[in-house]
Amino acid sequence: MRNKSILTEAHQIDTAVELIKLGARLQVLESETDLSYERLLRLYKEVAGKSPSKGQLPFSTDWFMTWQPNIHSSLFLNIHEYLNKVAALDEIEVVIKAYKLYLEQIGAQGLEPQLSVTRAWRLVKFVDNGMLTMTACSHCGGHFVTHPHEIARHYVCGLCNPPARAGKGRNAGAIRLSAPSEFELAH
Amino acid sequence: MNTEQVLAEIREANLSYLMLAQTLIRLDSDQALFRLGVSEDTARLIGLLTPAQMMKIASGNTLLCRMRSEDEMVWSLLAGQGKHSANDGVSRLHAAILVAGRHQEAA
Repeated sequence: MRNKSILTEAHQIDTAVELIKLGARLQVLESETDLSYERLLRLYKEVAGKSPSKGQLPFSTDWFMTWQPNIHSSLFLNIHEYLNKVAALDEIEVVIKAYKLYLEQIGAQGLEPQLSVTRAWRLVKFVDNGMLTMTACSHCGGHFVTHPHEIARHYVCGLCNPPARAGKGRNAGAIRLSAPSEFELAH
Repeated sequence: MNTEQVLAEIREANLSYLMLAQTLIRLDSDQALFRLGVSEDTARLIGLLTPAQMMKIASGNTLLCRMRSEDEMVWSLLAGQGKHSANDGVSRLHAAILVAGRHQEAA
């Protein structure tokens, strides 16, 4: 039998509710709280009004490297690192607060969020275990999500040098590019 | 604008800033650190100010808040000036990433 403090449990339920509201998958809740699977399932149904989606979590780092997701992920991770540095918070709290700030920022630009809270959480795990990192763009100086061992001296981010087909999609809420970027013009 | 008006405008701006900052800090002090770009100590001080203290601090001939970024890149992106003006939304997103990456100033 686990001997848990009721206060700790209440705090964990709060965290779980917050995550469910943001659309987190059940696996995130299982990993970040000590609550039993059955209780989390009930909580999920109560808060979300439906059963959680099934299936495995995406496990590849590739998604974070594609153009648009990379920009979204980089914005989130920069905010995450900022909060991590200035505020004394639990790991999962940093993710939740940074994710909310990310949503705000994206909404303010009239864009649709591309990064789900589950992916955001996953991204932080990938960075923690060294499968992904951030590298400064040699052109604008901003920090972007990259594979480790990216050669920093030559790295140019997806916003300074967008790939040829980038930003031409017609999806509403997607990042659009209308004119060639400064980097393209200069090279 | 004469001197008296300048001082009144500065006091007004300072007061608005302090009140907003305090509201943000009391709402969520951690997120406020990101929004305001101030250190934890400064945030704690602002959070504890009384209205009378605020009035006193707000008067003076200098503004209390300063530019978040002195980076020329950020400013040209935000203002959508010259060579950087590829697309307004993308430029602001780009600037947001640059600003969020500057935590060394706050910590």
